[in-house]
Amino acid sequence: MTDRELAHLIKMANQITINLAYGDSLEQSAGRVSDHIVRFWATPMKNKIKSYAQDGGQELHVITKAAVLRLS
Amino acid sequence: MLQYYDPIKSSHIVRSHDPTKDYGTPAVITETGYAPKLLSLSIDGQAITLPEGTSLMRAAAEVDVNIPRLCATDSLKAFGSCRICLVQIKGRKGFVASCTTPIEEGMVVRTQSEDIAKLRRNIMELYISDHPLDCLTCAANGDCQLQDTAGEVGLRSVRYGYSGENHLEMEKDTSHAYFTFDPSKCIVCSRCVRACEEVQGTFALTIDGRGFESKVSASQDEDFSSSECVSCGACVQACPTATLIENSIIDNGIPEHSVLTTCAYCGVGCAFNAQVRGDQVIRMVPHKNGKANRGHSCIKGRFAFGYATHKERITTPMIRNNIEEPWRQVEWNEAVEFAALKIRQIQDKYGKDSVGGITSSRCTNEETYLVQKLIRAAFGNNNVDTCARVCHSPTGYGLKTTLGESAGTQTFDSIQKADVIIVMGANPTDAHPVFASRMKKRLREGAKLIVIDPRRIDLVKSPHVKSEHHLALMPGTNVALLNALSHVIVRDGLEDKNFIDSRCEKESFLQWKRIIGENKNSPEALEEAIGVPAKNIIAAAHLYAKARNGAIYYGLGVTEHSQGSTAVMAIANLAMLTGNLGREGVGVNPLRGQNNVQGACDMGSFPHELPGYRHVSIDEVREPFEKLWGVKIRPEPGLRIPNMFDSAIEGGFKGLYCQGEDIAQSDPNTQHVEEALRSLECLIVQDIFLNETAKFAHVFLPGASFLEKDGTFTNAERRISPVRRVMSPLSGKADWQATMALSNALGFDMNYRHPSEIMEEIAKLTPTFSGVSYERLDEEGSLQWPCDSEAPYGTPTMHIDEFVRGKGFFAVTEYVATDEKIGKRFPLLLTTGRTLSQYNVGAQTRRTENLQFHTEDVLELHPYDAENRGIVGGDMVQITSRSGQISLRAKLTDRVQPSVVYTTFHHPGTGANVITTDNSDWATNCPEYKVTAVEVRKIKSNSAWQSQYEAFTKRQEFFLQEAKT
Repeated sequence: MTDRELAHLIKMANQITINLAYGDSLEQSAGRVSDHIVRFWATPMKNKIKSYAQDGGQELHVITKAAVLRLS
Repeated sequence: MLQYYDPIKSSHIVRSHDPTKDYGTPAVITETGYAPKLLSLSIDGQAITLPEGTSLMRAAAEVDVNIPRLCATDSLKAFGSCRICLVQIKGRKGFVASCTTPIEEGMVVRTQSEDIAKLRRNIMELYISDHPLDCLTCAANGDCQLQDTAGEVGLRSVRYGYSGENHLEMEKDTSHAYFTFDPSKCIVCSRCVRACEEVQGTFALTIDGRGFESKVSASQDEDFSSSECVSCGACVQACPTATLIENSIIDNGIPEHSVLTTCAYCGVGCAFNAQVRGDQVIRMVPHKNGKANRGHSCIKGRFAFGYATHKERITTPMIRNNIEEPWRQVEWNEAVEFAALKIRQIQDKYGKDSVGGITSSRCTNEETYLVQKLIRAAFGNNNVDTCARVCHSPTGYGLKTTLGESAGTQTFDSIQKADVIIVMGANPTDAHPVFASRMKKRLREGAKLIVIDPRRIDLVKSPHVKSEHHLALMPGTNVALLNALSHVIVRDGLEDKNFIDSRCEKESFLQWKRIIGENKNSPEALEEAIGVPAKNIIAAAHLYAKARNGAIYYGLGVTEHSQGSTAVMAIANLAMLTGNLGREGVGVNPLRGQNNVQGACDMGSFPHELPGYRHVSIDEVREPFEKLWGVKIRPEPGLRIPNMFDSAIEGGFKGLYCQGEDIAQSDPNTQHVEEALRSLECLIVQDIFLNETAKFAHVFLPGASFLEKDGTFTNAERRISPVRRVMSPLSGKADWQATMALSNALGFDMNYRHPSEIMEEIAKLTPTFSGVSYERLDEEGSLQWPCDSEAPYGTPTMHIDEFVRGKGFFAVTEYVATDEKIGKRFPLLLTTGRTLSQYNVGAQTRRTENLQFHTEDVLELHPYDAENRGIVGGDMVQITSRSGQISLRAKLTDRVQPSVVYTTFHHPGTGANVITTDNSDWATNCPEYKVTAVEVRKIKSNSAWQSQYEAFTKRQEFFLQEAKT
């Protein structure tokens, strides 16, 4: 991947998942991850990761992907 | 709060406490809740009632009878050596020293009589018979207690003559950069020795020899510069003669006026009297009534102020079109017009979000507020961040989540009531030395200490201080250790059930308890990863949990990790679990790094929060700002510093206004930062020096030091203290004026006449600051926010009856190992820190005599690791991480454990951050400075980055010279 910014965003998003997935349902975990991204990420960052998730988002953790796809 | 005796309430004599007066011996401090026993007596016919334990000397001072004294001063315990302060008590034989004699009920005291006067003259006569009579040419002339006392006792002649054996020929010790020791003027009152012990807690001084041979000696009769002296200045402060005196006084004479202000170094925020001649600062003297420092200081605040007038200060605005061309000096107008045009062109071309700014944690609250206002209103986005991003942003997130407010819970005074103290990932004796002295004092009184740090910091063992437990964990395992501590407390039933039931959310606690109770969080399961035996973790957990008052102090060793926010929440959990919140002596206390980093955060410097830590997405939060500023504020968070860098490299972010922050040196992965800075089309740097970041800038706006402006700083205890102008801004504009000029050039009008008007606006818009004004600050000296109509005197202790968020929230804190792991290629872990004499990137301290205390950054490594690599102390070694490579001199020490290496980052040429990585905290993007996997090997030359750095710096210095000629 040449886009280092995107690579970093993927890493950051997955890191949020690892720290906010408490072993409860995907729904609950993805909700927390999504909330965190909504509260702390700038719009261009959200847009970038969202379009990556919509394109398949291969490197996103399943919870991360679910969380990112929830972003409005 | 401390309960000082208040004479207005309990005595028939009405007077006010005078902060400038020396009462001779310390005031009696009574534990909260206990009424002091009051005793009535008469002094020279005046009746007075005072608490038991007060000395006669202090009692006399309370009725304005100032008994002559030499060895007594109210910052030190009474000593009774000079005998000048003798008084008579009716019905008792002889004379007693008023400093060491406590008051008693019904005493009738005379402080003056013919006999007393004669005795005092006799004593003074002896002193003066062995003292140089060079008063007129003495540096302390006009500021000498010996001189004053000789006058007070009416000494007119010395019958013994001066030819007897004496100390007049003793040699001066001029080894210290900031003060001179002249033993020929010493009266051996021991004030310096006692100050070093009682106030500073270093025990570097002693009285060597006996009788006539007695003399003050630093360490084992060494000169001051090679002794254990930490240059805090307490001895100089305490000396009643010219024996220990600032070199600046020897060179310039006594200052003619004094301005009360706040230190611009660390987050302790000491109050100082800047003693001035005209507009020249002669010396900085710690303010006795300063509520953060209580009259103490450290080498930086006390002595290292010379940078303000250093020859490398840049005082004229400069511009250039690209960084490969020389600077051009211009007028302020041209500089801000140039900058504004560039910003607008960038926004037209790349969009509104393509620019942003960084507020300075070294500037005042008012200035920081203005910069974020400029970004939100004139740039029209929320791309504003501050250096807290790279230090305590996890504190903001972690404490807000668990307790509801992004700040420490206590005052510094609170430590006087702590029984067990945990110091985690902080090195207070180096980074927060004035607070460390308070802590050491409490430890000497018997409080127990637990140090959690991979490195053996001074607090682990120093004179009269020894930690009960030093948990020398491996870097990166903070959360594992904190979880293990909580696990033990829960497993062994040591939690404070009442506190949890009444103060915390039940649901979150039960979820947290279920997870923390799992075996994977037990010390037995984690001891190998942590590198600390389970039994030590268990013992520490028991010690903290069973304490009457347990207090946690932490620093960047907690926050600057991939799980920095998790660790902060784990600390808050630990405090809630044991009921250690909401009163004095306990709490969760982040030791903030820079002077106003707390204030910068408070003032809305984060991209997701408006002043007062309120999220930008909330309509009711934005509305008052929008109304007053006359603009719409974006409801979405902006970019954080690391996000700005990433976006710059990818081409989305093109313009940055950076006030008083040297991101090129202080931020991690330097080569990445430099690449980002080179990608910018307009970098506006506002600073007092051409710092590392300015070498990549297109516009340079000269900044003003803290001596050149009015404003306020907020320290780590949420204390808002006044900063007052001592000299005119060298560039003609203080930083708030520079920001105003830029804003006006951008077409967003700002017209403040004085920073007090900015504070009025802050108070209007920020509920926690609503009771703050310059008038109130003048009245109270300082105020701790929240300060509003409910708490007009501020809030020393937070979360007393309930948490700011209501019920305390136990956040789940699962341990996730960092990606930065040791392996074959990088088998060592590097961690970084500060040293006492230097501050942050060293831009200020390196431009003072402090440089001689730390001439270079060195790499500390364990002799075992050194031997394996054929390295001996003093060798140049190369440190390589996956980010880069630098070379440093090796220092072998067992302060670090095997497989851990350590360095400081005070010198730009070292490039310590060339090797730190862009790993960051999951919640806040705070960089993981404290864990970098590295390899070290012996080499002969500089690294490629360092050679490039030298060439680049040389070229940029040439461009600067071009501007000046």
